[in-house]
Amino acid sequence: MRYAVGVDVGSTQTKSVLVDEQGRIVARSLIDTGAYLVRAAERSLEMCLTEAGVSRNDVGYAVGTGYGRFKVAFGDDQVTEISCHAKGAWFLFPRTRTVIDIGGQDTKAIKVSERGEVLDFSMNDKCAAGSGRFLTNSAEALGMEVGAIGPKSLEAKNPVRLSTVCTIFVETDILSYLASGKKTEDILSGVHGAIGSRTVALVRRVGAEPEITFTGGVARNIGMIRSVEEKLDLAINVSPDSHYTGALGAAIFALERMTAGSQVLA
Amino acid sequence: MTLTAFAPLPAVEYYRDVVEDRTFPTVGEWRRRTGRKAAGSFPVYSPVELAYAARMLPVGLFGGGNQIEIAHADSRFQSFICSIVKSTLELGFIDKLAPFDALLFHSICDPARNLASVMARNFPERRSIYVHLPQNMTSAGAADFLAAEYRRVALELAGVSGHAPDDEDLRASITAFNAMRARLRELYALRAASPEKLSTAELYTLARMATFTDPAESTLLLAESLEAAGARDARPKDRIRVVVVGSFCEQPPLELIAGLEEAGCYILDDDFLLGWRLFRHDVPETGDPYLALARSYLHDSLHASTKHDLRDPRAASLIASARSNRADAVIFLGAKFCEPGLFDYALYRRALEQEGIPHLFLEFEEKMWMYDKIRSEVETFVESMLFV
Amino acid sequence: MKNAPEIRYQGRVHELQKELMGGYYAQLTDIAKGRSTRKNAHLLIAGNPVELVRAFDMLPVFPEVNVLQIAARKASLPLIQKAEELGYAVDNCAYVKADIGLYLSGYEAPYGTVPKADLLLCNYVGCNVYLNWFEHLAELTGAPAVNIDVPFIRSADGEPSSEDVAYVVKQLEELIVQLETITGTALDWKKLKRTVELSARVGEMWSEIKSLTKLRPAPYDAYFDSVTMMAVLYCLRGTEEAARFFEIALADLKERATMKQGPLPEERFRVVIEGPPPWPFLRVFRDMFTRWGAVAVASTYSTVGGIWEFGFRHDPERPLESIARHMLSQNLCNRTFLQRYDQMDRYVNEWDADAIVIHSVKSCRLFSAGQGDMREYFVREREVPTLLIESDLEDPRYFSQAQLRNRIDAFFEALTQRRITAAADVAAGGVA
Repeated sequence: MRYAVGVDVGSTQTKSVLVDEQGRIVARSLIDTGAYLVRAAERSLEMCLTEAGVSRNDVGYAVGTGYGRFKVAFGDDQVTEISCHAKGAWFLFPRTRTVIDIGGQDTKAIKVSERGEVLDFSMNDKCAAGSGRFLTNSAEALGMEVGAIGPKSLEAKNPVRLSTVCTIFVETDILSYLASGKKTEDILSGVHGAIGSRTVALVRRVGAEPEITFTGGVARNIGMIRSVEEKLDLAINVSPDSHYTGALGAAIFALERMTAGSQVLA
Repeated sequence: MTLTAFAPLPAVEYYRDVVEDRTFPTVGEWRRRTGRKAAGSFPVYSPVELAYAARMLPVGLFGGGNQIEIAHADSRFQSFICSIVKSTLELGFIDKLAPFDALLFHSICDPARNLASVMARNFPERRSIYVHLPQNMTSAGAADFLAAEYRRVALELAGVSGHAPDDEDLRASITAFNAMRARLRELYALRAASPEKLSTAELYTLARMATFTDPAESTLLLAESLEAAGARDARPKDRIRVVVVGSFCEQPPLELIAGLEEAGCYILDDDFLLGWRLFRHDVPETGDPYLALARSYLHDSLHASTKHDLRDPRAASLIASARSNRADAVIFLGAKFCEPGLFDYALYRRALEQEGIPHLFLEFEEKMWMYDKIRSEVETFVESMLFV
Repeated sequence: MKNAPEIRYQGRVHELQKELMGGYYAQLTDIAKGRSTRKNAHLLIAGNPVELVRAFDMLPVFPEVNVLQIAARKASLPLIQKAEELGYAVDNCAYVKADIGLYLSGYEAPYGTVPKADLLLCNYVGCNVYLNWFEHLAELTGAPAVNIDVPFIRSADGEPSSEDVAYVVKQLEELIVQLETITGTALDWKKLKRTVELSARVGEMWSEIKSLTKLRPAPYDAYFDSVTMMAVLYCLRGTEEAARFFEIALADLKERATMKQGPLPEERFRVVIEGPPPWPFLRVFRDMFTRWGAVAVASTYSTVGGIWEFGFRHDPERPLESIARHMLSQNLCNRTFLQRYDQMDRYVNEWDADAIVIHSVKSCRLFSAGQGDMREYFVREREVPTLLIESDLEDPRYFSQAQLRNRIDAFFEALTQRRITAAADVAAGGVA
C-alpha cells in the first residue's frame, strides 16, 4: 500500500493529512509551527506516520502548502493553499462551488468548478482587516479564549456596531464599549458581524454560488458561521475536518500525482 | 444633542434629521410636487445653476454618512480609498440614488474621477456627467473653454430633463442661487463676528439644507434663521477661536462638528460644503450667463483644496483667514485617505509653524460614530491654550 | 519547479539604453553643477509638450523618472521618510514624497544631480497629484510654475472637442512666450517642426515594436522590457539619438521575432499587465511571472506617456495641434477609466492574451482607484481570468513578497489546471 501526504505549514500551525490510495484519510496531525518551519514540517509528518503506523518509504508523494510550503524539505511539489483549500473543500463536499477561508493574515473566497478546480479567487487587500487576527485580538482585548468568543456572541441581544475592521484599532473600540457598559456578548456580536461583512464582500466578488463550504480554523467558530450564513442567507457546509482542509487538499493533489505518474501542475 | 442654550432655530430643528436621511425625503417630495427631475452633485463644486435652469433640482451628494454599511462598494474600491467614494457608490448599489436622473462629477481628485466611470458602468440609467473645471486660472483661453464646457453640460442635462435652457432661464437660475449664497455668506459673517449667536452645528445644518432644497425656498429659510440668530442675546463663553480646514469634500458627522464646539472651540471659518457657497460675490446677472459663471469660478471663488490657483498660494490664504478672524488656532479636520487634503496639510503645517499659529491635526471618516478619541484630543488642545 | 530562474533579462537594447540614459543624466548633472548654462524645465510624463521644451534647446527633467530610478536602486525609503517628517502623510503618493525628499537632500541622486527647475511645467493630464506635486515644488523651491490644463476626455468616442484642442493650443502659445522669456530666444519654428517630426518617427517605430508582441512567442516582455525602452521614449523623445535608438531596437527585436526567440525559454502564458511596476522589487516581481512562463504581451503602463499603437502620430505640419492632441487623448492618463477597460479588451483580443494581471499600486490612485470594478468587469462580463494584486511603485513598505507570490502562484496554478483539464477533455473526445 502506498500513501500520499499533504503538509500545510501555516504562520501559527502546521497540519498534515495522510491518505491512502483510495483517498481515505488515515491520519492527521496538528502542531504549533514555531520558528523553524523545516522542522515543523518534519515533525508534523512524523506524527502522522506514527499515528497511521506507516513507514516513510510507503509515502509515494508529498505536497507542501501554506506560507511555508517551500520549507517542506521532503515535498515533491508545492501548491498554494488557495488551490488546496478548493481541492480539500471539494473533496469533503463535492457540490462545493464557493469556498470561504478566514486565515490569520488572509481571508479568501474561492470559486470552484464541479471538478474542484479554482475558477476565480479573491482575497482581502494588503491590510489584514477582517482576518482571523482580528478575532484573536478581540478575544485578547476581552480577556477571553478565542474558542469561547463564537458561542458567546450568539447570546447577544443588542449587538453593537464596530467603527473599524482594523486589527490594530479594534482594541480601542472594544475598550470604549466596555467602558460605556456594553455587554461582552453584544460587543462580540459586533466583532463577528464586522468580519462577516468583510468576508461576504469577498464572496460577492467571486459570486456566492452554493454550495458554500467554510474551511480553515475559523470554521470552528459558530459565531462566524452564523454571521456569514445570515448575511448570505444561505446554509454553509462545515466539516469536522475543516481545520485540515488545506493539508487534505494537498494530500489529494499528492494522491493525484502519485497515481498519474508525475505529470500536472508545475 | 443640544446645539445651543437658547431658543432653537426652527429650520435647524426641522432639518437636523433630514440632512442625514439617505432616502432624500425632501427631494422625493419636490419631485412629486413639481413633476421634475433631480441631479445629484458630487462634491466639491458643480455649476448647479445649469441643472436648475434645465428645470432640475441640483442636490448635493455627500456620501452615506454614518447611516449605511458599505457592503458592496468596497469590492470595487480598495481599502486605501476614502469613504465618500465608496459610500456614494454603495448608495447606488442599495438603490438610494433613485431620486436622481443625472449625476455630476468633476476633476477634484483621482478616485472621484474614476468613480464617475464606475458609476456610469454600473448605473447607466443615471447619466454620469463629468465636468472639467480648469486648473490654469490665468490662461486667456480658460474662460471661453469653461463657458463652452458649461454649454455642453447644460445640453446634457437638458437631454435628461427635457428642457433646454435659454439664456434667460440661466440668468434666472443664477439670480436664485446668488440670493441663496448671499444669505449663506451673511450667516458665515454673523458667525465670524459673533460665534456665540450662531453655532457651527446650526450653521452647518442650514448650509446642508441648502444643498438639497429649491433655492427659492432655502433662501427664505436662511434669511429667517439669519434674522433670528442675529437677534439672539448671548454672552461669549471662554472658548478658543479656531479656523477649521480640510473637510471640503467628505463631510464629518454633525455630532463631530458639535463636539468640537462643546470641547471649547468657537469655529470662525471652515470649508464644509464649500462648493455651495464658492463665490465671494454674486455671479453677474447680465451678459453671457455661461461666461459669467465661468469667470466667477476662475476669478472670484474661494480658495479650495481641489482648485490649483498659482496666483494664490494656499498656505498664505489660510494664514490670512486665521489673521482676519483673529483666530487663536487652526484645526485641520481631514478625511481619512483624502489625498488633496493631506497634501495641503503639509504646506499648512509649514506655514502655521513659521507664523507661530498653534494647530491641531484631526482625522475623521464620515462613517465614524464614536468620537471619544477626537474629543479628548480637542479638549487637551483647548486646555493647553486656555491655561497657559 | 519554480525556484529562482536563472534568466538574464538583459540584452543589446538594455546596454544601449544604459549608455543613452547615462549621457542624459550627465547633462542634468552638468547643469546642476554649473558646468552648463542650459535652461531646464521639470515636467511630467503623461502626455507632455516635451517637443516645445526641446525646440528651445532646454533640457527636460522628469521627476517621475528620477524617483523611479532611485526606487529601483532601493534607495527610496529614506527620501520618503524625509518628506513624511515634514508633514506628508503615509497616504500621499510616494513619488511626490521621494522627489521632495530628493530636493531636501540637495538633489543628489545615485545616478547624478538634478538641477533646480528654471520652470516647473505642470502638464495636468488626468493626474490630480501632478498639480499638488508641482505646487509643492513651487512653494518649496521658489521656482516659477505654470499649469497646462488639459481637459479630461469626456466624450464616449475618446476624442477631444474642438474647444478642448483650441484651449490647449492657446496655453501652448502662452507657454512659448514664457519659454522665450526664460531662454531669451525666439522660438525657432523650423526646429520645432523637426522635433515633432522626430517624435512622429519614434512613435512609428515604437508602434511597430508594440505590434511584435502579437507574435508567438512575443520577442520581448511588453511590461518588464518595455520600461527599458520607455526611458528613452520619454526622456529623449524629439532627439536624433532617440530615433537612432529605436531604429536599433526595432531591428533587434524584429530579428528576435524572426528567430522565434522570446524573453523566456518557453512562453506558457500570455498576459496583459495593468498598472505601474513595483520599482523597488522589479527583479523579484518579474521572477514571480518567469517561474510560470508568463510573458506580458501588452501593458497599460507602457502607454502613460503616449498611446501610439492605435495609430496616433505627431504631425510636423501642425505641431501645436498635434502636441495638444497627444496631451488630450493619446495617452492613458487623460482617458477615462472605462476607456482603459476598452484598451485592455483590445489587448486581450488583438494580442491574444490568456489572462490579465492588475497590479494595484497604492501611491497612484489614478491607476488604482476602482480596479476592483475593473476586475469585476473582466471576470464577469468578458470572462477573462483576472488577478488583482497590490503593492506600491516607490514605497518598499507596501511590498509583501510572500503574499504576492502566494496569489500569483495560485492564479497560474488555476490556469494550468484548467488547461490540463481542457486537454484531457479533448483527448477523451468530449467537449467540457
